[in-house]
Amino acid sequence: MSITTPRLDLMSRLLDVAAMRHDVIAQNVANINTPGYTTLEVNFEDALRESLANKQDASAAKAEVVEGTGGLPREDGNNVDVDMEMARLQKNSLYFKVYTQIMANELAQYRSAITGR
Amino acid sequence: MSFDSLLVAGNISASGMSAERLRMEVIANNIANSLSTRGASGGAYRRQDVVFESIMNDQTQGNTGPTSGFGGVRVVDVVDDPSEMPRIHDAGHPDADGSGFVTMPNVSVPIEMVNLMTASRAYEANLKALQSLRQQMEQTLSLIRY
Repeated sequence: MSITTPRLDLMSRLLDVAAMRHDVIAQNVANINTPGYTTLEVNFEDALRESLANKQDASAAKAEVVEGTGGLPREDGNNVDVDMEMARLQKNSLYFKVYTQIMANELAQYRSAITGR
Repeated sequence: MSFDSLLVAGNISASGMSAERLRMEVIANNIANSLSTRGASGGAYRRQDVVFESIMNDQTQGNTGPTSGFGGVRVVDVVDDPSEMPRIHDAGHPDADGSGFVTMPNVSVPIEMVNLMTASRAYEANLKALQSLRQQMEQTLSLIRY
């Protein structure tokens, strides 16, 4: 018997990917002024949808770092758009909060099941 | 997995901040020397510029852990701007040549100011990313309470 529920597994996977996405956004922001640097993105949701549709585990879905959509390339070849990155950062932080809240809720249910209160 | 790898995003943002800060220092030096007719290498001061390079460690694609192989940015070099030096007519200047012309630094203060603002905004963007990371880490740690 496993003590973790599928939802808990899914949430921890989503949290992992959110942390990875934060890395990628931080990398983009750090390289705002690097000539020739192009925006990167994490591709995960499509893979997750596919593996869930095939009744597979969430861990089967692979998160990939791919070329992302940035702004228009500047003269130095860099296409990082600060506003876009800040919006992605906020969105990712919000998702991260959602996942932790769901996880906290799940864990609180465990606790009440164990203690009977 | 070490605890450091959890906070790798913090290192990325920190590298961006330190690179932008160095850029601000170079810009400040340019502005301070915008009228220096005696530079370090003889002749008028030459405007300097930083060269940024993104750091990519060997990337582990599609792994489950939060190590994405990114290292942020680093300053690889501070180079001299090879553009032409303006010459102004000022016969009374001690560094004037025979025909009364003085070679001035190729620093344009408006351009430096624009670069300074860009560097400052980029610094703030990195700081914002760092603040987000802190919030996220606090949220994750709060799970221990449940």
